Amino acid sequence: MTVESLYPFLYEGRTDVNAVLAEVSRSTAEKAHEIVALREHIATTYADRLPVCAAALAASFGNGGRLFTFGNGGSSTDAQAVAQLFLDPGPGARALPAIALTTDVAVVTALANDVGFEVVFARQIAAFARPGDIAVGLSTSGGSANVLRAFEEARQRGMVTVGFAGYDGGRMATADAIEHLFVIPSSSVHRIQEAQTTTYHVLWELTQQALG
Amino acid sequence: MTALDAGPVRSAFARRVPAGEALADDAEAVARACHDMARRFAAGGKLIVFGSGSAATDAQHLAVEFVHPVIVGKRAFPAISLTGDVATLTGVASREGVHEVFARQLRLLADPDDIALGLCTVGACPMVLGGLRAARDLGLLTLALMGGDGGAAARATGAEHVFVVHSDDPRVVKEVHVTTYHVLWELVHVFFEHPGALDVGLPA
Repeated sequence: MTVESLYPFLYEGRTDVNAVLAEVSRSTAEKAHEIVALREHIATTYADRLPVCAAALAASFGNGGRLFTFGNGGSSTDAQAVAQLFLDPGPGARALPAIALTTDVAVVTALANDVGFEVVFARQIAAFARPGDIAVGLSTSGGSANVLRAFEEARQRGMVTVGFAGYDGGRMATADAIEHLFVIPSSSVHRIQEAQTTTYHVLWELTQQALG
Repeated sequence: MTALDAGPVRSAFARRVPAGEALADDAEAVARACHDMARRFAAGGKLIVFGSGSAATDAQHLAVEFVHPVIVGKRAFPAISLTGDVATLTGVASREGVHEVFARQLRLLADPDDIALGLCTVGACPMVLGGLRAARDLGLLTLALMGGDGGAAARATGAEHVFVVHSDDPRVVKEVHVTTYHVLWELVHVFFEHPGALDVGLPA
């Protein structure tokens, strides 16, 4: 969709800065309402499956499991946010072992340069994982090759696997290696990321509750 | 699984609705911030982003949005996060204190036409406030995305655009911040694609 098709009146004549401002304001409010509605939809869709996943995570942590996170681009920052949330949640919550596989630039660039980007995360999982650990991967498209490969490695090693995807779930939707999959059904990368953030926050809350 | 077991999920999502809806009340303020940002970019400025704790990841997220747009055909803008250089972060923190971590980097990396954007979810973070003050002293356009009771402290730094999510839950604050900066990114382009709108300031 072009900007022109979204805001046709802006192209009809001389730019009126106040008209642009009004349109941008309207668009802001619209997006705010959009994400609230999308979250409501996710709450209904995953009302049963989020507690099941949280119970699996709590069981893993109870047995000494660690959580590993991964994703590319904007999702790499979500991977770091998930790890930070479990590891350093602040007052009143239980801190749990979690590592983001995206933060060690030496390892990421070494693997990408020496082998190929598709093994970034999978090789790290192979090096770190123990059975019963947790793998959390995020991809808005659901189609990131290295994320899918990391899930395969994780599942082979007996990890609990949790995926976050957008659109229709892409290849992640049919990947047997992902036990707990949360798909955000939106066509906007931004709304997907925003709803994913809420979903992993709620999953964390439920995990804390399950750990008691 | 019974309906009762699903209760915690429902209530966790329901707790987020007021803060999410409240962003719409800030729509005009967001639009004005986009206009100011677009004018800085048009003048050759870059965006410098920083945040502490979980918001450090948002700083990197926002920088990648501008540098590598997710929507094909959108213009790339220069943006850098000050949270990525762990050697500098830990070096400055241990030598000079946390309040200097972003301020020091800004003094070396910022140009007067730049934009500074600081994020904090837990109220008044000294690290972020130090960055905002340094940015104002350098004449940057300064934006703050805050939460809890952090609004007054951010305004006290002189930051031009301060957005506050009124929630005591830093997770909820973060979620609204993500929407806010996604909107800032997207709507900067609307002004930018109308060069006439960049030539003039807005009435207060």
